Amino acid sequence: MWKPSETSAPHPFQVMVYKEMSDHVRSWRFKILLLLILLTCMSAIYISVTNFSAAIKAEDPDGSFFFLKLFTISDKTLPPFHIFIGLLGPLLGISLGFDAVNSEQNAGTMSRIMAQPIHRDYIINSKFVAALGLISVLFFALGFLVMGLGLIFIGIPPTPGEFIRVIFFILLNILYVAFWLNLSILFSVRFRQAATSALASIAVWLFFVIFYPIIINLVAKGLIPAGEASPLQMVHYQELILNLQRIAPSQLFSDATVTLLMPSVRSLGILTMEQVYGAIPAPLPVTQSLLLIWPQLTGLVAATVLCFALSYFSFMRKEIRSR
Amino acid sequence: MFPLLLAGLLQTGFHSTTSAQNVTLYTPYTRIAVPPGQSIDYSIDVINNGKVVKNADIAVAGLPKNWTYEIKSGGWNVSRLSVLPGEKKNFSLQVQVPLKINKGTYAFQVLAKGLTQLPIAVIVSEQGTFKTEFSTGQANMEGAANSTFTYNATLRNRTADAQVYALRSFAPPGWNVTFKANYKQVSSVNVEANRTQDITIEVNPPDQLKAGKYKIPVQAATEATSANLELEAGITGSYAMELTTPQGLLSTDITAGDDKKIDLVLRNTGSAELRNIDLQSAAPANWSVTFEPKKIEKLPAGQTAQVTAVIKADKKAIAGDYVTNLEAKTPEVSSRAAFRVSVETSMIWGWMGILIILAALGGVYRLFRKYGRR
Repeated sequence: MWKPSETSAPHPFQVMVYKEMSDHVRSWRFKILLLLILLTCMSAIYISVTNFSAAIKAEDPDGSFFFLKLFTISDKTLPPFHIFIGLLGPLLGISLGFDAVNSEQNAGTMSRIMAQPIHRDYIINSKFVAALGLISVLFFALGFLVMGLGLIFIGIPPTPGEFIRVIFFILLNILYVAFWLNLSILFSVRFRQAATSALASIAVWLFFVIFYPIIINLVAKGLIPAGEASPLQMVHYQELILNLQRIAPSQLFSDATVTLLMPSVRSLGILTMEQVYGAIPAPLPVTQSLLLIWPQLTGLVAATVLCFALSYFSFMRKEIRSR
Repeated sequence: MFPLLLAGLLQTGFHSTTSAQNVTLYTPYTRIAVPPGQSIDYSIDVINNGKVVKNADIAVAGLPKNWTYEIKSGGWNVSRLSVLPGEKKNFSLQVQVPLKINKGTYAFQVLAKGLTQLPIAVIVSEQGTFKTEFSTGQANMEGAANSTFTYNATLRNRTADAQVYALRSFAPPGWNVTFKANYKQVSSVNVEANRTQDITIEVNPPDQLKAGKYKIPVQAATEATSANLELEAGITGSYAMELTTPQGLLSTDITAGDDKKIDLVLRNTGSAELRNIDLQSAAPANWSVTFEPKKIEKLPAGQTAQVTAVIKADKKAIAGDYVTNLEAKTPEVSSRAAFRVSVETSMIWGWMGILIILAALGGVYRLFRKYGRR
């Protein structure tokens, strides 16, 4: 699609990505969000470090994974790191994407860019790549910040397995935020007003975080099998409810984070006694944890790609006139 | 001195039977054989054949040194009995044969002074000792090295006093010898004079003992006396085996729903041949374990046998570790290998996920091609 140019001048796409990034970084919106995320993460680390000794128990199969505990310990007053990210990540993605196209259109800059001798899809691609790049840098910085502070406070280096798990956890965060970014870009293409697209994105987010579980509860009550249900029926019922919950991206994200950060999680579904008999409570290797959450990852990737494809499609079909 | 005395006694005895008297002393057991230390009870009748009441002064003469006696009748110690004419009166004579006495024949007479005498001979059947005897009917036993040998022994106190015997064994290192009296484990026993005490000696040889004959000396000793007994244990060999893998690695991984072949080694680590070795397993639910061969007829000492186990995991097994016990069993001994089986989920769904992602990306690429460059 875009090749590096043979001449010494930078490729136009590269220029556009850099410009988008600098716009983001200089904007107050990004700085406020960055501050918010940094503050919450610092408080999460503080909580996990102060409760570290109490959280390590001898009979806990995750007990030997000191480093992963940094991301999961809390003292019930404040949520741990991964819950914070699950809450604030969508906000970050939405804030970076909700006015990507429509604000430029309203300001009249879009038609000026279109006047340049570049491909039209460079505009939407560069917006996506720039935001994704920023998110990646931010999350890797946050992840390594937590690891570095953890090293200072607890003094135990991570094992290779733990390190790989943390890296995958960061990648998962980026993927999750990328989904919300693409969704808000899609809305910014669809809606002419930036406020409308922001509201639409936040509405979707609120729906999945707050209202969807309530709806699932209602549906579950309606579908519950009559009193003398066979165990098989109960299993099917529970599986149906679980699968309904997994329509929400936030559920996919929390399933995946829990499995990555708690190696003792061996299954995300319902377990029968036959499956549990003879099992030793022992942590899973990284590859097995990844295989376990592979459906969740696939779902998230597919949803992200779908949102991008839709926004790309509607942007390319959009009529852009100069004012 | 004894033969001379004997001849004299026999003569007088002959004389007494021939001289017809009105009073006769009678007992049926005039010549008996007893072991040393025995107490002999004679029941003697005084028969009055005369027409008048006879007073018989009862006495014992010619009793060897150290022998003691007691004469009783009607619950009394008596020295004179009065018998009505034509009647008889009974008294008992208790003679205590000493413990320390030579083997031989001893004689003495019971006298009714001035009336008659009764010669009695006592044959002491064995050399008397003033010591302790520690003996067993079966001092030799045979068995496997990991079995317990139980000997039944008798401790006989042939001294004049009660003794407290300390029981000790002089077994080689690694052997465990316990003494039991009256079903209780003891280190010493109290035995009254001239009494016996049954003692059970349990001998537990070390498990890895080579076949052969071993002697275990045991001793019952006091300050004054002691007795030794030498027990013998014939060891035929020990039963022991080990079920493991050639490398000793007891873990494996397996894909859910798949099977895995595990090479096992069965080693006879004992010193006896093992027969009819059964191979068994305890696996999680819906798993199956098959052995090839299922049974081993015999395995000589020190030899190893190759066994292949095929573990088939349940299709629904969750990822992670399960424990599967493989066991080799004979009537004598068993060996268990606890395998840690790491279940891995099948990669098919992983590839399916990648395919779905590729399809989505392919769709985007088609979009690029269709709309991107106009």
